[in-house]
Amino acid sequence: MSIHRLFLIWAIVSCVSFGSMPLGAVETLEEPTEATVRDIAKSLRCAVCQNQSVYESNSDLAKDMLSVIRTKVAAGEQEGAIRDYFFQRYGDYIYLEPTTQGGNGLLWWGPFLALLLGGIALFSALKKWRRETPVGKSPSMDTDTDTKTFQNRLKNEMEQID
Amino acid sequence: MKNLWKVILLVSVMTILALFALGLENDPRNIPSPLVGRPASPFSVPALDDGPPVTLESYRGRWLLVNFWGSWCISCRSEHRYLMKLARMTADRRDFAMIGVDFKDTRDGGKEFLASLGDPGYRQAFDPDQKIAIDWGVYGAPETYLVDPEGIIRHKQVGPLYEGWFEKIALPIMEKKP
Repeated sequence: MSIHRLFLIWAIVSCVSFGSMPLGAVETLEEPTEATVRDIAKSLRCAVCQNQSVYESNSDLAKDMLSVIRTKVAAGEQEGAIRDYFFQRYGDYIYLEPTTQGGNGLLWWGPFLALLLGGIALFSALKKWRRETPVGKSPSMDTDTDTKTFQNRLKNEMEQID
Repeated sequence: MKNLWKVILLVSVMTILALFALGLENDPRNIPSPLVGRPASPFSVPALDDGPPVTLESYRGRWLLVNFWGSWCISCRSEHRYLMKLARMTADRRDFAMIGVDFKDTRDGGKEFLASLGDPGYRQAFDPDQKIAIDWGVYGAPETYLVDPEGIIRHKQVGPLYEGWFEKIALPIMEKKP
């Protein structure tokens, strides 16, 4: 590679990296209420997206919902009241983390209840199976008798063939 | 005891199967509105046609159909023909009125839509930053609410109204509650 070409590459690379330096960046201070807005917006589902919060979504509805949240926070409304405002209008769906109240409680606790019931059923079944094995009679004796019967039957059948 | 467990097992399996069967009928996009049975949020906003503001309160005492639409919405175009027909059909009814809410739209866009597809003749509210739409729990367009004479929302239709919707859905609700 010639010196000229190397110099050209060096010039391009330094131009690009110099241009991307944050020379003009100015630190902007966030409004103190913006943290509350972000908290609320992150907990609400963008109503037209499958699984994105109002804060993350780029959809028009999410942007307008964000501006509604901002207006309400600026007006001094409580966080809970603002969340409830959306809940009243869009229902359970609006919370990214659903509440455990009402019928939702069944969905939350139902699986644990089913697991508990299954555990009890399995436990009592196991207990019953152990009880059903007669005490004092080892399984090996069974095998012995079985083998004897089998051998007798085999002997008989062989004799018949002969 | 043995039989009890068998019954419990059978009942649980049947319940799960029944829930699956019921779920097959559901449309996952049709999220039931918690607003049905609750008072509609009042509003008074500029009209699309620069006329006097459109006020929800002024329709108290009549059944009111509130149709949310936008010129950007494709299904609203297909729905528009029926809305025109419904407005004509119900023009003589003194107990029924219709309004439209053109949301997330430009004034020119909304006006052009009505100019090209026809003006059904009822008032159109203009809601560019969808404040009313969010206040009414709207997800998208078109969505239509049926509000009773006391201002309580009685039905929400997600998606376009269709031929025969008024007779099939709205009339039975209106006749049940005089």
